[in-house]
Amino acid sequence: MRSSLHFLFWGVFALLVGSGSLAEARELPKSALQNYVPWQDETVHAFENLLVQQDGRVKPVYTVARFTLLQFLGKSSVSFETQDGEPHRLHYAAWFLDVLFRGEIAKDLPVFVIDDSEAVVQIGVSPKSKRDRYSYNELLPGRAKLAELSAQYAEKQDQHEKSEKDPEFELDRIEGMILTLGRNISSFEYLVGQFGFAKKGELLVNGNILPPELNELAKRLDTVEMMEKMPEMTLDQLVQTVRQQPGATEEERMFSGALRLFFFHANSARGMNFFPPQDPADEVWVSASDLMLAGLASKEKRPWVKEQLGGISALVKAQGEGEPAFLAALEAFSVKQHAMAEARGEGKHSKLEIQLYRGKWFYYSLVSFVFAFVVMAFSWLTPGSKVGKTLLLVAGLITLVGLVLDVYGITLRSIIRERPPITNLYDTVLFITGTAVLLGLVIEYFTRIGVGTLVAVVSGVLGMFLSMKYEAKEATDTITQLVAVLDTNFWLATHVTIINIGYAAGLVAAIIGVIYLSGRFFALFRKSSNPDFYRTLTRMNYGVICFCLFFSLVGTVLGGIWANYSWGRFWGWDPKENGALMICLWTLVILHGRMAGWIREIGVHVQSLVLAIITTFSWWGVNNLGVGLHSYGFTEGVWGALYTSWMVLGVFMAMGAVLWLKERGERASRKVKFPTGEEATA
Amino acid sequence: MATPSSQKIDWSPQNWPRHFYRFFTSFKLATVVLVLMTVVTLLGTLGQVEHGLHAAKEKYFHSFFFTDKIFGVPVVLPGGLILMIVLFLNMTLGAIVKVRKRWKGAGLLISHIGMLMLLAGGFVTWAFSTDGYMALYPGMSSNRVESYREWQLEILPLSKDGVAEKAWIYPAENLETMRSDEQRIIHAESLPFDVVINGYSPNATPIPTSAPMAAGVTGKEIDGFKLSPQKPSKEAEQNLPGCFLEIRPRDGGAPIEAMLWAGSYRFDPREKPMPFTFKIGDQLYGAILMKKSWTVPFTVKLDEFIFERHPGIMTARNYESRVTRFEEGQPEKPLEIKMNEPMRHAGFTFFQESFGPSGSQPGDEMFSQFAVANNPADQWPLYSLIVTGVGLGVHFLIMLVNFTTRSRQRHAKTPASL
Repeated sequence: MRSSLHFLFWGVFALLVGSGSLAEARELPKSALQNYVPWQDETVHAFENLLVQQDGRVKPVYTVARFTLLQFLGKSSVSFETQDGEPHRLHYAAWFLDVLFRGEIAKDLPVFVIDDSEAVVQIGVSPKSKRDRYSYNELLPGRAKLAELSAQYAEKQDQHEKSEKDPEFELDRIEGMILTLGRNISSFEYLVGQFGFAKKGELLVNGNILPPELNELAKRLDTVEMMEKMPEMTLDQLVQTVRQQPGATEEERMFSGALRLFFFHANSARGMNFFPPQDPADEVWVSASDLMLAGLASKEKRPWVKEQLGGISALVKAQGEGEPAFLAALEAFSVKQHAMAEARGEGKHSKLEIQLYRGKWFYYSLVSFVFAFVVMAFSWLTPGSKVGKTLLLVAGLITLVGLVLDVYGITLRSIIRERPPITNLYDTVLFITGTAVLLGLVIEYFTRIGVGTLVAVVSGVLGMFLSMKYEAKEATDTITQLVAVLDTNFWLATHVTIINIGYAAGLVAAIIGVIYLSGRFFALFRKSSNPDFYRTLTRMNYGVICFCLFFSLVGTVLGGIWANYSWGRFWGWDPKENGALMICLWTLVILHGRMAGWIREIGVHVQSLVLAIITTFSWWGVNNLGVGLHSYGFTEGVWGALYTSWMVLGVFMAMGAVLWLKERGERASRKVKFPTGEEATA
Repeated sequence: MATPSSQKIDWSPQNWPRHFYRFFTSFKLATVVLVLMTVVTLLGTLGQVEHGLHAAKEKYFHSFFFTDKIFGVPVVLPGGLILMIVLFLNMTLGAIVKVRKRWKGAGLLISHIGMLMLLAGGFVTWAFSTDGYMALYPGMSSNRVESYREWQLEILPLSKDGVAEKAWIYPAENLETMRSDEQRIIHAESLPFDVVINGYSPNATPIPTSAPMAAGVTGKEIDGFKLSPQKPSKEAEQNLPGCFLEIRPRDGGAPIEAMLWAGSYRFDPREKPMPFTFKIGDQLYGAILMKKSWTVPFTVKLDEFIFERHPGIMTARNYESRVTRFEEGQPEKPLEIKMNEPMRHAGFTFFQESFGPSGSQPGDEMFSQFAVANNPADQWPLYSLIVTGVGLGVHFLIMLVNFTTRSRQRHAKTPASL
């Protein structure tokens, strides 16, 4: 065991050192910007506090910025080098501030990641390396082709859904990338053009959209002033008027041009709902676009609309006057907006939400687990010694810190949405990780042989890493609104929580199995072994499997009872239900197989790996099938990761098979053959 | 010492009950059944992607045996029904009858009783429960529940003003067993004609013979249309069956042919069904494929349907129905039915299931749809959960105490660690 632990230690060390040097070696993409003046921290903080209603809830701009950049870049910061050779790293909030208020700069920032250069070749843009980051301006030459292809692929994707996933309409990898890029570019354009109405002459998105005379007009036109002078007009009427040929006179042409500009600005300002509605009974916040159209449609609303839009105009104006003025304007806007939201009982957890993301609790939790692993690895250099035991204890304490950070983050999320800890797939990752770590630490408390800590550390590292990868992959707000059937804190707190404890136990059993099988397998190459140690691991795993059965069974039946209340049947053979059932069944297979004498020590551990395969299938796999009533948990694109994890578990199962064959051979060699053919043990 | 395998087994008939008992009480049987149940559950889950939920349920879980390809090789496997029957026998004999009754095993005994209750509840549900739906617009009332998937042929004598009298029904159980190349001649005593059904397809669509795709469709052409069989939908509720109907008057009159298609039935509670009409003598008849339906012993009136979305997005936040229940000899009862809060009465349970029409926008008038279930074992899972949970809790507590005590003793004796 000891030599294999040494090997593991140096392997981990080499990996950590290697990954560090790789990160340093990565080149920063060169920006077309001559230089870049960063925002002051105070300005960014004032900005990130602003509120927006998006995805059915009021949240800080900070959250919107985070997930927008994740969606474009897959990261939470933008790194680049300006022409003067200075490296910069922008936090997502600062980047978002650029996008809304310094669009010309934002268009030169490399925020669009493209995994395969074939995608940019197809839209007619010169590729950089195979996987690279591009700025909006770099992709602009291919904008028209991108629009054409992404519309075509969106249609194909729609047909794929309608045809019950006919493979003929399935998008290939490059098509999927082009579709995503098309959507991201479109979102970016809306964001950049968001406050265009307040920026005289700065169309920002694409100046070629309008004829030159309108560009000139745009420099003189004040959209808000224009609205005040217009006759009342609905959106339909506006569209019809814009479509008509302008009259012959200069005045008519100017009026038509102004209307087109108004329409252009109103269209660009969609999406960011910064303004609480005028009617307190109305729940839906409005964007600058909604305001402009509401003002156009009703003269009565114009004073209120002008006041609201005036807030944005003041921000834009102040930004042109320098950062101190901009900061003051941002703070004034924020105070007013928060007061309105507070009066409506909204946005009350926005500061907590910023704290959730700024605190990076889950990231630091991962760091703690990795650090604990390193400390633990050092303890393996002197196992059993006083130093070794002390290091083990320290590793346990650091793991506890990681757990506390995870639990703190989960608690913040629960408070923000006023719900129990788990409401979506992302929450399950955080919760299952925390539960597995806690289980590991409890095991350690009772056994004091280091295995519990190792289980906790491995669970923590894998779980928190998974949570970060999943968040980056999905790139959508993880604090989501619930569908009607989930609108019940009782069932969320009972069934959902309990079943996820069952999942956690199933995974912990597998980690113990891996420790047992790899330990015994590598011990084959040495003379000495410690049977007591492995017997303890078997008892430990048996206990965890029983724990898994208890929670999986109770959770599954509770889920059935909930289904009976909400869908009218206890059991419907829904994939998610079946997944939970399979976990119960396999734990029962292990327990009964053991009683039948078919499963012994090695068998328990090998079967615990099968249990993990079933658990991961139930947790992630069924969500990929795209069928069933648990549609709120659907996800895509995780089969690759699942197959990889199952293959890794398969390697350990193969080790188990080798051990079993060896044991069987040894047992056979201990038997004596009698001349009659009857066997007896020697 | 001889091993057990060396003992000769006495297979004489008087020992068969003992062998039977030993077989059905063995842990080995339990293990095999549990493994097979896991495999069948997995296949049934994956099968839903290809076949849809209903077809997969019937094939894998509501069957005694089924054939499936595993890695391309056809394999016959026991279905869910037989596995659950064997498991029930095994648990009853092995874990309840045979097991040594001692305090240490009390938890396990209790938990097995709980699981038996759950299996028994599952059987009662499978054998005796019914489920259907009722859809109502505000102001509408009904006591009629319709099946999700079962279609029957109805022939309705119509009065002169088009009102239907008591219908003659060819039941869904018979209709859905028909093959597309099969013809059935039905002699209905209450009707002055024989009914001939052929060309039945569980999912079909009529297409004009002038359409290019009609060229590949065999079968009759009626009024410029052919009936094109379609692949059954994965959502069995979406299937629209069709068939050809021939009416053969017994008085020697000319036969009447028609094409019937389930699309003529209403899908919005306010629409009226459109039967094919024909005359025999002076009597007007209508023939139509209708959903199987039954009544509940009370009437439900929808007073108000409340539908809320999360602000600014299409996700439904809440939908609930305010209803009044009318029952003979009982006072009117106003009630609320919402997600997770059903109405239970007279053995029937009304669940807030969905709403429509599809694509409704805020402000549109919408109907509310209730799932209506009649399940004698409705609450059995809850009782079973309590019993099982208590049993497992007791058992694992005993185990945990034993484990920790032994671990501490062992730890004190021989330190072993990573």
